[in-house]
Amino acid sequence: MMDLATLFFVWGLASLTNATPLILVTLGETLGQRTGVINLGCEGAMLGGACAGFGAAMATGNPWIGMAAGAATGLLFAALHAALVLGARANQLAAGIAVWTLALGLTSYIGRAFVGGKVEALPSLAGTWLTDLPIIGKGLGQLSVATPIAVLLVLAAVWWLERTRTGLSWRVAGESALIATENGMSPTLSRLSAVLVGGCLAGLGGAVLSVDYTQTWANEITKGRGLVAVGLVIVARWNPRLVLPVCLLFGFAETAALRLPAMGVDLSSYVLSALPYAVVLVALVANQITFRPGAAMPADLKRVFQ
Amino acid sequence: MTGAPAEAVPMVSFRGVTKRFGTLAACDDVSFDVAGGEVVALLGENGAGKSTLMKTLYGIHPPDGGEVLIHGRPAAFARPADAMAAGIGMVFQTFSLLPALSVRDNLAMAWPGTPWYLGKRGRNVRGALAHLSQLAPGINPDARLGTLSTGEQQLVELAKVLNLDARLVILDEPTSVLTPAEAERLYGLIRAIAADGVAVVMITHKLADVEACADRVVVMRRGRVEGEGSAAALSRAEIVTLMMGRTARGDDPRGLPEKPPLPARPRPQLLLRRVSTGDQTSDARDVTLTVHRGEILGIAGVTGNGQTALAEGVAGIRDLTDGEVLLDGSVISRRRLDPRRKLHIGYVPENPRENGIVAGLSLETNLALRSIAERKGASRRMTSSEVAQRLAEYDVRPPEPARAAGTLSGGNVQKLVIARETGEPREALLMVFPTMGLDITATAFVYDRMVAAAAAGAAVLWISEELDDLLALAHRIAVIREGRIMAEWPVTPGLTRTEVGASMTGGPT
Repeated sequence: MMDLATLFFVWGLASLTNATPLILVTLGETLGQRTGVINLGCEGAMLGGACAGFGAAMATGNPWIGMAAGAATGLLFAALHAALVLGARANQLAAGIAVWTLALGLTSYIGRAFVGGKVEALPSLAGTWLTDLPIIGKGLGQLSVATPIAVLLVLAAVWWLERTRTGLSWRVAGESALIATENGMSPTLSRLSAVLVGGCLAGLGGAVLSVDYTQTWANEITKGRGLVAVGLVIVARWNPRLVLPVCLLFGFAETAALRLPAMGVDLSSYVLSALPYAVVLVALVANQITFRPGAAMPADLKRVFQ
Repeated sequence: MTGAPAEAVPMVSFRGVTKRFGTLAACDDVSFDVAGGEVVALLGENGAGKSTLMKTLYGIHPPDGGEVLIHGRPAAFARPADAMAAGIGMVFQTFSLLPALSVRDNLAMAWPGTPWYLGKRGRNVRGALAHLSQLAPGINPDARLGTLSTGEQQLVELAKVLNLDARLVILDEPTSVLTPAEAERLYGLIRAIAADGVAVVMITHKLADVEACADRVVVMRRGRVEGEGSAAALSRAEIVTLMMGRTARGDDPRGLPEKPPLPARPRPQLLLRRVSTGDQTSDARDVTLTVHRGEILGIAGVTGNGQTALAEGVAGIRDLTDGEVLLDGSVISRRRLDPRRKLHIGYVPENPRENGIVAGLSLETNLALRSIAERKGASRRMTSSEVAQRLAEYDVRPPEPARAAGTLSGGNVQKLVIARETGEPREALLMVFPTMGLDITATAFVYDRMVAAAAAGAAVLWISEELDDLLALAHRIAVIREGRIMAEWPVTPGLTRTEVGASMTGGPT
């Protein structure tokens, strides 16, 4: 039996790996919601990204091309959502579900050709300066390069929202489109760009999931992670800083679900695979009880539910 | 307190500005000047056209006739953004600020000098804070705007306007949201801005504002300039007379109904005992009133002095923080009591289109809303012939029971609400600004029904700004100001509108 510190470290690394796709999707959804757009279609964008990314990586043998294809596909699905919501003024929830089910159908159809395909994963951190760090270096070497990229993107999003004028205009758009207009900003432009960036991140998250993490394509591979991301945005209180810890919670639960049987815990695999979702549910409820509900919610989002 | 030199071209000149909404002339041939460095108080009752006039200048309602000159050159702004670019800033009663963002972010979003990179802790937008730190050095720029008091938020809004290098600042009822101490500070700031050469127009109905910081007074009434002069030269009495009009409307063609006679032995029916809904000036505070059976008690006051809170408190929509309401001897303001007691009060709310009807539902359903609340069974609901009869009786046009209520005109919406609220006998009737925005015939109809309800024995509590109408129809008048009842008189021929008006605006009584 490993000592507790080592166990914690190993599980932590595994959780980070598990959580990487989710971090990207949740970050993307956070950005969109900060401008006042809820995109349930991020599940679709993620699914599309996973499918297209896997196909591209399989065909070219280059995982980076898979990443690019995934992000581009996520962008397309997000563009569809934006066209429905910002262009046609459709209901955001209905439009999101439409995009999601469209992606579900398309990926099931197109993805049949990818079942059993082989792809190369992204490089790991082995051999970089990170592995020279004492104690933790060896462990870090097992991580995929996707993980630090996701972490850096989170930091970049925080910087973008808080330190740039464009980020400020995104936040203003999320609080009140009217006041944004009164102050000479274009809330529609802010929303369009944030939704598109969010779609890219969701697609990228999907591609990381299929190409790098599971290295297989399976129908409905995302297993609702995109929708979990929508819930996690609330748990993270629309704060990109909190995306990391909140996603790690889900990743940790998933790690537990995968590793507990090997440690002799005798639970039905069905119960175990439901564990991460149950954890999110508990976190969501606990969050609602602990904090004033909706206190941190961008004010213009409330419009979606009216 | 003198303005700019007389030979200077005025900062702004209104020349015969006219603005119509339908047949109503909100502004009618308005002309006056504002010079740089001058503070002009634009006075008038609600609906006198003050705000509309300023909105014609600010590009919200382009004028239908006349013109506005800026520095002697004609200017017509189609959008507020154009007016802002020309150096005109307006501080509205509802601020254009975001409570969830920091003070700094709120200022940075409107400051033309905001660079793309804001810097660590907003280092690069310090310039946006310059005016605020002069106006209110105590405000922490990192604080969330929503944590600031209303007065502080107003200063942030003012700083935002000054950040646009405004040469003309328009303040819409700036002191209505302020505590007396905050108002004092604002007066000082207005003087300081004017000393820098900025022209200031302050829309107000408070004489205290005029005395504290105005150089000149322009009084509007019913869309027209009723008079103007230097603030020092005009007495309070003269200003009140200009605001309220010189004579009662003896020649008014609207044909007010006869005041109903009071019952021989008046019996208290609706009692308010020390009713409070909070401690803002827009709350009812410590209001004690008695309305007798068959009596009309008029509450006079300028909008925003607690009338809405008082009415909602009595109607049971808003919780009371203190005091109680009694109807026919039993308390109806405690939650645990049978809520159906409240249904003995007819309630004609302010702004009936928003508060009195369900716009998407039919006339028939809207008429039946109270029966639904009273949980009458299907047998007790109105039959379709009764609905048709009720619509005809109250002259709701068009009298189509299936039509959506939201498609009716304002007057007909009000008739529909009154049909529901007074269609069956009520012990008390509560009417809040019931004729606001209505034409002459609809107004006469509303008053007819109010008088009929009183004659049928209801205790009528009537909140209004129409002094002439109050004097003509109410048995007693009470004045509400800043949520408190300031004075109360039985209506006698000796009671003048000047006396009531002075009490409404805080002048000497």
